[in-house]
Amino acid sequence: MSENLCPSPKLSKEDWDPDVVTRMIILAPGAKVSESEIVSEMHMLDLPLTIKNTCYGAMVSGKSKDVREALKAIRKLDPAHIFTKDRGFAPGDPRRCRGQRFGPREGFHQMEKEYRILGDVADALEKRKDITVPKKHPVDIDLVKDIMNES
Amino acid sequence: MVEIAIYPPNSLILADLIERKGHTPLALQKQIRQKIKDPEIDSPPMNITEDDPIKGLKYAAIEVPSGVRGRMSIIGPLIDAAEAAIIVDGAPFGFGCIGCARTNELSTFLLRDKNIPTLEVTYPTNRDETFEMVNQINDFLDSLDELVKSDGDFKDGVPEEEKENLEVVEKELKED
Repeated sequence: MSENLCPSPKLSKEDWDPDVVTRMIILAPGAKVSESEIVSEMHMLDLPLTIKNTCYGAMVSGKSKDVREALKAIRKLDPAHIFTKDRGFAPGDPRRCRGQRFGPREGFHQMEKEYRILGDVADALEKRKDITVPKKHPVDIDLVKDIMNES
Repeated sequence: MVEIAIYPPNSLILADLIERKGHTPLALQKQIRQKIKDPEIDSPPMNITEDDPIKGLKYAAIEVPSGVRGRMSIIGPLIDAAEAAIIVDGAPFGFGCIGCARTNELSTFLLRDKNIPTLEVTYPTNRDETFEMVNQINDFLDSLDELVKSDGDFKDGVPEEEKENLEVVEKELKED
């Protein structure tokens, strides 16, 4: 019998609160802080938050005001290398959590793609370097005509 | 503070760069969160309900597949609320969360067609291109407050003054 991949979760009171938000904190390659450091820093703030340590950084859930305050505090640790974004599902939600699924969760693949260029983005934010990459243009039609006529 | 539509709508890099400059990214995750907290949805991971393709009729015709209209019912309100837009072109396969090429095309078309300042950048493939993309986005975000207040014509994402410049350049090229 196949597993149920669409469980109806038993949501807690916090999950139904429209003011509660979840943010993902992702550390770029070359960050000067570790995942555990940012988690312990958030615990030290003593705010009513749910914090989860993950392989890419951390996940934090709570009232939007508290989450904003926590993000502001941890960004100071390494402004260029700490990236954050919203997450639709709460930490550990069985509909998205990898623990209940077979294989990575849906959002993993894009994060994997973005992580590859995240180090360069962080470097660009740390120290601006004005670069103009020459645009690739198609081959000139006259050149193509000449080559065709030669043969 | 300007509300900016991003494409792909769940992009970490775009959302983060926008928030760093004090603007608001119109990310898809907020819409999804509203959906999954809706007690009327029986099977919450299947976020599309029978009402969604009907709501999507605002953005796509009845002949368009219901999958596109259902997706548009979630992405459409973000496009409606957008005061500016940043679109990433030429992204590799698997980049973005929509999972539907036609919805991608329709969403970018609606953003380009809307009379708002739009920045289109190419997905970077190396370090230099990444630096260029970040600089372009930061410059665009810095100038955004003025662009939004200017009430200019941003059809096709190009401000009116720049359109005039383009016409001059085109004329000169023809003369040459």
